[in-house]
Amino acid sequence: MNTEKSEAGEGKKRGGDVIVETVSRLMVPFIQLFALYVIIHGAGGPGGGFQGGVIFGASFVLLVIAFGIVKAGDRFPEGINTALTSLGVYIYAGVGLLCIILSLGVAQYLNYGFLSLPVHFEERRALGMDLVEIGIGITVMAVITSIFFNLVWKREPEGGGGEEE
Amino acid sequence: MKLISLSALLFVIFLGALFIYIADDIPDFGDPNSPPNRYVNLSISMDAAEAATNLNKGVVPEELVSKLEARGFREDELPAKVEMVKEGEWDAFIIPEEKHYYPKEQKYYFIKKEGDKLWVYRYAPIIRYIEEGHEETEVPNMVTYILADYRGYDTLGEVTVIFTAGVGVILLLRRRAKRPEAR
Repeated sequence: MNTEKSEAGEGKKRGGDVIVETVSRLMVPFIQLFALYVIIHGAGGPGGGFQGGVIFGASFVLLVIAFGIVKAGDRFPEGINTALTSLGVYIYAGVGLLCIILSLGVAQYLNYGFLSLPVHFEERRALGMDLVEIGIGITVMAVITSIFFNLVWKREPEGGGGEEE
Repeated sequence: MKLISLSALLFVIFLGALFIYIADDIPDFGDPNSPPNRYVNLSISMDAAEAATNLNKGVVPEELVSKLEARGFREDELPAKVEMVKEGEWDAFIIPEEKHYYPKEQKYYFIKKEGDKLWVYRYAPIIRYIEEGHEETEVPNMVTYILADYRGYDTLGEVTVIFTAGVGVILLLRRRAKRPEAR
């Protein structure tokens, strides 16, 4: 009974505030762009995978606050989120393993200089670091998002749907 | 009861005073030129008179090599070249046998004249990261190249910790059935 009630009133109760919805709809792409900038810019200035990943995760948190968990959850499905959580670690560990494989066992684990990229040794290390930062960013983003989504989802059915705003 | 708490208070005050007394000696935090951040004393000493002339000529003294060997340093960790930094201070270089990397001279020992003795120090690894990291990795950001390259293994562990936290939350809190299907 309770669920039916909340089903009926979901659309109006959640998406009530036009200002919050519009502003966050405008903000989210820019937050995500900034997050990507921080991840890629990690080599040249302040930033890196951890920071950028957290900013990216924050954009999904904003989506949840503005549109409610159901709409935001449809935009970023759980299954993909779970896959991304491990994908980042796979990228990191995979880059490390690639170094050993591509150098036929000469290099150490995570010695980026032996990735077969068409640049010289030192430049390869810089590019390898970028790849690794991307892996870190993906994992952190997915973990932040999944922690927040799961916390919100559990409380939803019992409370009758009356949280934020 | 009261006696115990009084003595505990006195003990805490004593510990605090002791800490302040000791902390007076601790070098400034983050000072890259303070001795503990820069080099470790190996407590090997040599006579200044003979060794200093050798060092000034750029010859590695036999005494130094034999003393380092006695301390258990590997063959490729023995000094191969000496350079004077300034009067009474020398850098000793090694050529490590790095199969994964081109063999490259590395600043390793620091020799300093104090009184009529020469003391041998070993440079802290951080010195190499600070002074040669940009050259070796072509990344201008010191934090990034230490985090992702020199300490890459450590960072892999950190990411794994975050991943584990995420998996733990998914296992404990995810309730697929209770998800409201409203749209």
